Amino acid sequence: MSAATAPAPAATGRGARLLALLPARYRKQALPVAVTALLLLGSWQLAVAVFDIPSFVLPTPTTIVTAFFDDVGTIMAAFHVTVTAVLLGLLLGAVAGVAVSLLLSRFASVSAPVLSAAVLLNCAPIVALAPIFNNWFGVTNVMSKAGVAAVMVFFPVLVNTTRGLLQVTPLHLEIMESLAARPRQVAFGVRFPNALPYVFNALKLGSTLAVIGVIVSEYFGGPAQALGVYIASQAALPRFDYAWAGIFVSGALGLLMFGAVTLLERLLMPWHASLHEESD
Amino acid sequence: MGEPAIISVRDVHKVFNGHTDRAVTALQDINLDIGPGEFVSLLGPSGCGKSTLLRVLADLTSPSQGEVTVNGKTPRAARADRDYGMVFQQAGLFDWRSVQRNVELPLQVAGAPKDQRRAKALEMLELVRLGEFAKHFPWQLSGGMQQRVAIARALSADPSILFMDEPLGALDEMNRERLQGELLRIWTDVRTTVVFVTHSISEAVFLSSRVVVMSARPGRIAASIDVDLPYPRVAETRTTPEFFAKVKEVRQVLHAAESEQAPA
Ligand SMILES: Nc1ncnc2c1ncn2[C@@H]1O[C@H](COP(=O)(O)OP(=O)(O)O)[C@@H](O)[C@H]1O
Ligand SMILES: [Mg+2]
Repeated sequence: MSAATAPAPAATGRGARLLALLPARYRKQALPVAVTALLLLGSWQLAVAVFDIPSFVLPTPTTIVTAFFDDVGTIMAAFHVTVTAVLLGLLLGAVAGVAVSLLLSRFASVSAPVLSAAVLLNCAPIVALAPIFNNWFGVTNVMSKAGVAAVMVFFPVLVNTTRGLLQVTPLHLEIMESLAARPRQVAFGVRFPNALPYVFNALKLGSTLAVIGVIVSEYFGGPAQALGVYIASQAALPRFDYAWAGIFVSGALGLLMFGAVTLLERLLMPWHASLHEESD
Repeated sequence: MGEPAIISVRDVHKVFNGHTDRAVTALQDINLDIGPGEFVSLLGPSGCGKSTLLRVLADLTSPSQGEVTVNGKTPRAARADRDYGMVFQQAGLFDWRSVQRNVELPLQVAGAPKDQRRAKALEMLELVRLGEFAKHFPWQLSGGMQQRVAIARALSADPSILFMDEPLGALDEMNRERLQGELLRIWTDVRTTVVFVTHSISEAVFLSSRVVVMSARPGRIAASIDVDLPYPRVAETRTTPEFFAKVKEVRQVLHAAESEQAPA
């Protein structure tokens, strides 16, 4: 479907093809976003030079890039460790959230109080648990980081998925009833597909939450190579340009995760309303 | 009708929120027989119980009192046997299913094998003249096209009865008249019994072999009027004196029924 309706941009190559898979609203904004980013970086560079800001307060983007390439091996190894924890946390949180939600939706009477409790718990700063998870799993164990991320991902996935399972169009239920459909057929035919966009919304939020959870947890200690550990230790040395290089890579990781979830959403739900803008 | 009724309603009452101070008598003393192959419209003002009566026939709600048989069975058994197909005011298509898979739904729920489902769905889409849209998704179709898909879906499991609750109510006048013509053509093709809810007098007269006029508060059957205009009825039928006369007759009965209960 998507291939037929979405006109591919003229550019070729892998990057362009990936870009073509993104929803139109992201694709259309790619250029303005890139220009804005460049302008911001340019004025940053200029401001540091003009106001003669010392590099321990704020290094210039070019210094940061230089630091990145100087230490690229270490940073990318750290990236690898951190991305593993993020993916594991996202996966665990998502699976747990969906599983509990499926259980809850079968018992409508308990789902309301449990959901309210989940919303309340979600207001707590879950990253505060990081030292506890370090204690439980050991500071170098990937689970001490992924665990925090999983808990952060769990709540939005639980709340959103349950909404998606319960907030079904009454007409759809009525049609299934008129067809004498069995409860299992209603679940697979109506509730699950209806919940899918809700799940993806939660996963988009969760993908950035998971990055925050893992990086902040790593500030409290972690394996020798990890982005959070790298940022904290470079800042302590103090080598702020290297710390900033680590921060930039963490930012890129957040973007990457969000993009990956958006891409998955598009591949799995070619029908979804928010992806239709090409038609106009 | 000399033939045995395919739908029979005896002394049906329906009270919503009975035993509370918000009790609403939606249906009172309903008696109705519908023969095989009839196209019967339930016509009446908003809130007179048309949808409720249709939902009682379809076993989507149960009567507070009275007897209903559909195809000689209880409505529950008829629903379980998928004796009827249903079309609502909103198409109610499933966004995540292609047009073809939407039409397949009743067959899928009934457990029909895949290739049979496919063949039947394509046949039904041809019937509603949407064959080339099988692979499209609902959001790519106009409101009128979506409603034709809903009709194809309702007919795909070969039901002997079609229940329709203001199926053209959400369409603009042009589309509405076109689909009325389409519906008659489809009905001539498949020969199901149709029970059609509407509050449009001309729509009821154009489509039906019989118009059942209902009055409100409480919902009752005021009259049953045979429409003896010959089929096939086409666009020109709407301009014949016979058509106008029938519309006038139905309108008079409808207004008489309304003014009768107005002083109350
Ligand atoms: N589920 C319900 N609960 C309470 N009252 C209802 C319900 N459904 C319908 N009614 C009432 O029954 C009456 C008939 O409604 P309905 O059958 O929908 O009328 P129509 O389809 O002719 O517009 C109305 O007064 C309506 O408010
Ligand atoms: Mg109604």
